[in-house]
Amino acid sequence: MDEQDMPQRLVDAVIADFPDHAPGTRPAHTIGLGVTGYFRGSPIARDYCIAEHFQGHNVPVTVRFSNSSGSPVQHDGWSDARGMATRFHLQDDQATDLIAMTLREFFSPTPEDFLEFSKEARPRPVKPDPWWRKILDMLQLKPPNPDPYPGQNESGAPGSLDYANHHRSAQLAALDAAMLGAPVSYARATYNAVHTFIITAPDKTKRYVRFFWQPVAGVEVTDPTAPPVDDYLQGELRERLRDWPAEFLLLMAVGEGGDPLLDPTQAWPLHRSRVVMGMLKLIEIPADQETFCEKMSYNPGRMTRGLEMSDDPVLAARAQAYEVSRKMRGGSPCPFSKG
Amino acid sequence: MSGNSSWMNSLVNRMATSKFFNYLAGHVLVPYWAWRTPVYAQHGGPRATIPPGDNMQRMMNLILPLKDKTAVGRAKAALAIASNLDEIYAGLDNVGTVHFARFVIIENNMCMISSYDGDFSNYIRDFVAQLGTVFDSVVALIEGGDDMIPTKENIDAFINWVHDRDVYQIPDTATDLLRYGTIGHSAAKADGPDDLRLMPRALILQLHKNPNSLLGSGYRGYPGLSVAQIRHKMGLGW
Repeated sequence: MDEQDMPQRLVDAVIADFPDHAPGTRPAHTIGLGVTGYFRGSPIARDYCIAEHFQGHNVPVTVRFSNSSGSPVQHDGWSDARGMATRFHLQDDQATDLIAMTLREFFSPTPEDFLEFSKEARPRPVKPDPWWRKILDMLQLKPPNPDPYPGQNESGAPGSLDYANHHRSAQLAALDAAMLGAPVSYARATYNAVHTFIITAPDKTKRYVRFFWQPVAGVEVTDPTAPPVDDYLQGELRERLRDWPAEFLLLMAVGEGGDPLLDPTQAWPLHRSRVVMGMLKLIEIPADQETFCEKMSYNPGRMTRGLEMSDDPVLAARAQAYEVSRKMRGGSPCPFSKG
Repeated sequence: MSGNSSWMNSLVNRMATSKFFNYLAGHVLVPYWAWRTPVYAQHGGPRATIPPGDNMQRMMNLILPLKDKTAVGRAKAALAIASNLDEIYAGLDNVGTVHFARFVIIENNMCMISSYDGDFSNYIRDFVAQLGTVFDSVVALIEGGDDMIPTKENIDAFINWVHDRDVYQIPDTATDLLRYGTIGHSAAKADGPDDLRLMPRALILQLHKNPNSLLGSGYRGYPGLSVAQIRHKMGLGW
């Protein structure tokens, strides 16, 4: 396989997972909403990292919340991953991005595995299991497959499950995905940056870390037994921000020897040192969503001084694939930044 | 036979949470699958591991069935603690690796619950060195405890005895349930595909073997920090 082609192949693979994907839009996380606000590093963040946004002053941000699907059809109420991409606008027209999602792990440890996973996860026709199969499952103490949502004729879930049954690296993500549910608000979910990054402290100490956003309002999902609502997340956020900013804590887990530093399919133990790196306040939804959301292109590889990518091969591949995707849809790296 | 009759599907969907099915599952299906696909009862306490963060604030949840299952027996257990408070507090301070510890009586069980740093064997060894006489007075009230007394002279046997009574800790990494504790027939075969949909059964069968369980490794407000670090940073004189 020609490694030069890998970023394009990754983008093509994601697009192939969504047969109704609309050209010119994002291959995944197609439906989203841009929000602006600011981030302020905590008093101790600067002791861990010299990056500008951790120095304790307000840094303007543009955040895009999204549903993970690459389909242009909105299904807010379906159980699925959500995305939170954050652009920190730094001085001198520089910027850094942090891209996070509600899954705690990625499905593949390498780009090659991701291609295989994407192929398996292509939508298949789905319909409710026959009643007798459900009974057979129940007799085996096996939960019956959930019925498709009303109007849902195909799904990538059966392929993902098959893949995970044959690839242990995908199992945690598959299980996590099966239990995610739908958030009651974009501002009421935890978002994980999944990959390992390397931060540099003022004394030049380097640490392997993973970041995650935790909502100050707490985590809450919709009632899974109620019929799903297709369009509520964007309206809910608009309504919420009329009254009060939406706030998130940026938390950082510090890795230790033996932790899977370069494998995004493996979550770190929950009891790693956890440092509060700052507070995000989201204040306004810009009217010009075309500029602040749709045309803006985030990239998990957009770093800044004091913040580096680890050698996680999926992170490197994603950084390249996001750039391919940006060019394909005519996106701009940033409306203000040259970074 | 139509497999997709919608009324039948609705009925079966409702059946999954019905009292009838819950009874059938608990009294027939669980014993059947426990016989058909047996699992090992996993040991209690946290697993041995190397990273320092995994060895801080480890959880111990001992459940010790009282011999005397009346209020008199429970009162004797309470008195065994109350009459030794000085020994217990001084001992816990001297052990130096205990974040918190408490004794709880729950339904004729004396429960000893603590969070400690470091290795389990050394934790119990230190405890016995400091609190051997208190342990003896408590263990004398517990089923199967007589052979352990005096604990100071049966230290290795006592460590194993305590370990056996420390509740099983369900792994944070859920898929570990597929890997550990299965015998022969399992959801995770060594040489074939797994079946993730059998995860719930793996959990049920482990809980059948281990009725008392800690759900995951537990929350920590300040993960990765030892008692010694906290005492030092807070300027408490240690």
